[in-house]
Amino acid sequence: MNLLKFLKDKLYYFITFIIIYIILFMLFLAFKLDKQFIIATTFLLFLFHIIVILIEYFRKKYFYKELLENSEALDKAYLVLETISKPNFYDGELCYQALYEINKSMNECVKLVESQMEDFKEYIEMWIHEVKIPISSLVLMTHNHKNEFDKKYIDQLRRIEDYVEQVLYYVRSENAEKDYLIKEVSLHKIINNVALKNKDDLLENKIDLKVLNVDYEIYTDSKWLEFIINQIINNSIKYRKNKDSYIQIEAKEEENKIILSIKDNGIGIRKQDIKRVFEKTFTGYNGRVLTKSTGMGLFISKNLCEKLGHKIEIESVQNEYTKVIISIAKNRFYEVIK
Amino acid sequence: MECGDFMEKILIIEDDELICDELSKLLEDYGYEPLILHNFSNALQEILQLSPDLILLDINIPCQNGELLLQKIREGSNIPVIMVTSRNSETDEVLSMIYGADDYITKPYNPNILLLRIGAVLKRTNHLIENSTYKDLEINIQKGIIKKDNIEILLTKNEMIIFYYLLNHQNKIVTRDELMTDLWNNNEYINDNALTVNISRLRAKLKSVGYENAIETRKGIGYILS
Repeated sequence: MNLLKFLKDKLYYFITFIIIYIILFMLFLAFKLDKQFIIATTFLLFLFHIIVILIEYFRKKYFYKELLENSEALDKAYLVLETISKPNFYDGELCYQALYEINKSMNECVKLVESQMEDFKEYIEMWIHEVKIPISSLVLMTHNHKNEFDKKYIDQLRRIEDYVEQVLYYVRSENAEKDYLIKEVSLHKIINNVALKNKDDLLENKIDLKVLNVDYEIYTDSKWLEFIINQIINNSIKYRKNKDSYIQIEAKEEENKIILSIKDNGIGIRKQDIKRVFEKTFTGYNGRVLTKSTGMGLFISKNLCEKLGHKIEIESVQNEYTKVIISIAKNRFYEVIK
Repeated sequence: MECGDFMEKILIIEDDELICDELSKLLEDYGYEPLILHNFSNALQEILQLSPDLILLDINIPCQNGELLLQKIREGSNIPVIMVTSRNSETDEVLSMIYGADDYITKPYNPNILLLRIGAVLKRTNHLIENSTYKDLEINIQKGIIKKDNIEILLTKNEMIIFYYLLNHQNKIVTRDELMTDLWNNNEYINDNALTVNISRLRAKLKSVGYENAIETRKGIGYILS
């Protein structure tokens, strides 16, 4: 609270005071009062008013300063009411009361939205499980009646499956609750599952898959990591070059972590795009010009990695390669309690 | 794994009729005898009565939860159970395994992979020995050796995987995709050309022990080991 601004706000009060004082002064002169009496009265009047104004200033200053400073310092400004003490002057009380009401109504609003989100999330999860049943039927039908169904039907089914999976993990990654389970799993097995899942795509597009030295036991949620690696492999397939393509998956141990790297010799990422590839709905040059992309895959992957405590990084040179590196910490704690 | 005319009975516990039908057709095509559970309210008794060699159990079935049913089955029987579910989460998988499932596969699954998993679980529970024979050839899978009298021939890992798969499906047509799935499942990520090369090498090796036309090609379909 600024003293000058406070005084400026009191301008009408000073003007009234000055007018009253001038009238008083004229009355004093008219009654021919003693000069010393006039000086003493004037002095007392002014002193008295200054004291009253200063007291008021300091009372208000304390409350408003706390209110402003705290709401600036908090990352959730709406919680400020919890941090300040109730004021003991009338307009402060009004202000406090109004804030309290606003807060209450906002909390109710947030609660409503939260529960709507929760319902929606539950419905989506349920829907995903439901929609997988007809997809499964179709997969089985195309397999059983190979002569009647072209391979392109199976390809499209696989695309549907991938998109459905993406929604499921988006819902899971946005959810504050913990619905993953970290346990010791074989990295090799996870990679094998992803490889089998993408086998047809890789073979069709003549992409050689090289898997080297991945025999590690790691602590993670195998389903989540499988999804993440699957997204990366999908990108490598999508942004391949048409000759001699390969994807190389490799792991190594370093101090307290396992470093998994997935490298392809595809079209790479433009230098100006690389910083933003993990952003939500960012598509970049490759995703806009070359193929259609939702820009969600890497965003979800990054979110999931953060929740699992893994680190995901990407490096690339346009027209040469893209390399995604996932660092998975080896948790001593788990080893101790095992 | 087929021993003569004996067909392994596989019980499908699943409430979606279309999936039931297609799944039984798939199992039938691959030489199993599919059974379908119709009465979910009295599931346990019916299961024990049918005494299948393996159960494919969905978690979301009417009347009761698949996991509960699994627990009940495990109280009185060791029939191998593969959980088949659309719930793709680590927690569900861990729970199923704790309750005694032998494997866990999520929908939608690749039919070839489902068949491989079924084969693996049956092999594990029937304690099939690794040493098999083909006519008068002795086969040692672990060492990758086929032996006739005193001639030993070394097969590479890929050749052995292919030969063993053909052997397990003797006298049946095996598609290239099945062979490829089995190879990839065994962490051998080879491409189409490599598969062709491996098969011709395998043929040459079989020829050197006197089985020149053991592996026939059925054009556009696959291979058959007679």
